[in-house]
Amino acid sequence: MEKSSIITLCYRKIITINNEKPWDQLVFKDSYAELKMQAQYYNAKNEFRTFSQLLQHAPNAQQLHFLTSAAVTPYLSQLNATMPDISNNLGRLFLKFKSFRFEIINSDFNDIEKHSVAINFFSEELYLLNQIGSYLLTTTVNSETDENGAMPTELFNIPPFLSICNIKL
Amino acid sequence: MERKNFLRSLLIGAVSTPVIMDACKKSSDTAATTTTATGGSSTGNCVVAPTETEGPFPTKAPASYVRSDITDGRSGYKLTAKITIGNSNNNCNALAGAIVDIWHCDAEGNYSEYGGTGMQSTNYQSVHFLRGRQTTDANGLVTFTTIFPGWYSGRATHIHVHVYNAAGTSLKITQIAFPEGSGSAVALVNGYSKGMSGYTYNKSDNIFSDDSTGIEIATITGSLSAGFELKMQISVPA
Repeated sequence: MEKSSIITLCYRKIITINNEKPWDQLVFKDSYAELKMQAQYYNAKNEFRTFSQLLQHAPNAQQLHFLTSAAVTPYLSQLNATMPDISNNLGRLFLKFKSFRFEIINSDFNDIEKHSVAINFFSEELYLLNQIGSYLLTTTVNSETDENGAMPTELFNIPPFLSICNIKL
Repeated sequence: MERKNFLRSLLIGAVSTPVIMDACKKSSDTAATTTTATGGSSTGNCVVAPTETEGPFPTKAPASYVRSDITDGRSGYKLTAKITIGNSNNNCNALAGAIVDIWHCDAEGNYSEYGGTGMQSTNYQSVHFLRGRQTTDANGLVTFTTIFPGWYSGRATHIHVHVYNAAGTSLKITQIAFPEGSGSAVALVNGYSKGMSGYTYNKSDNIFSDDSTGIEIATITGSLSAGFELKMQISVPA
């Protein structure tokens, strides 16, 4: 095999009130409830109505991304380290994630409909073997070859909100 | 690259992009198994929809704060914190059903990560170390198992407390201070590996220095070998 680049894929999963899947709804509702609780620490006088106002005016309000993520981590565990939504060309979920970053995009403490969050999933390291048309051919860095010298690969298209977030040449 | 060529290359890019999108649209018209990506805006990029047996099915789960033992593998002398919440609008009688959050730093004086700018580890259970949430029982009591906090520059040893009513509305944000002096737990722990050089005592602490009656100072018993027990009564208007 020629020397391949090692890449990490990241998927920014946006969750709003319009997401219908049960997992998405649990993350949506519980992150909103947790944010409302935690935000009171930075909004003791109840001066601010939105997350963006808090970020602008309340010192350290950016800590709310991290503090609110505790409502989401139990649901991440339930994914068994498999990235949701992103399937290979056989229609199977195939990406394993190693780490994540939770972010609050927008929110209104009086209107759940304005709440939106994102979970950034970072994949395990993959060898980028080839590009075939608009498809990427990859294999995991710890893939082992079988007795015939073949190794398992994945072929997939890059949908919106999936990106290559770093590369080792 | 000359400016003219550069502009031309931009133009080519602008023309070729819709061609790619059209090509993709065509395949999604003919192939029944493709769809636009889940969660993405419809930009014409088509991928195979997930086609798998349903599940695993998510189950409702409380925030990872909700546990009595908040140690998460942090090393330090064991501390059992027993905090009783009273209602200052009702003769400070026990307040049942109140939600109590506590958080404090580890032996080195660090809090679990703030900010959320970096990637976080896969060990989701320990990301929020030394942060916990319990609901008061009929006696107004919550109990946490943790480690004796370390210290950091500018502050006396302390534990943060945020008390909410059952609906999650904030009732009080406060901090618990620790007794000092010879034989006290603060003196026995001796700042772990840091020692006490440069330590800020309660009288110089900008949060606790106005607490002349010691109302914010907990009662602490125990020893290094057996662990310590903290008792604190906090009254909130409920």
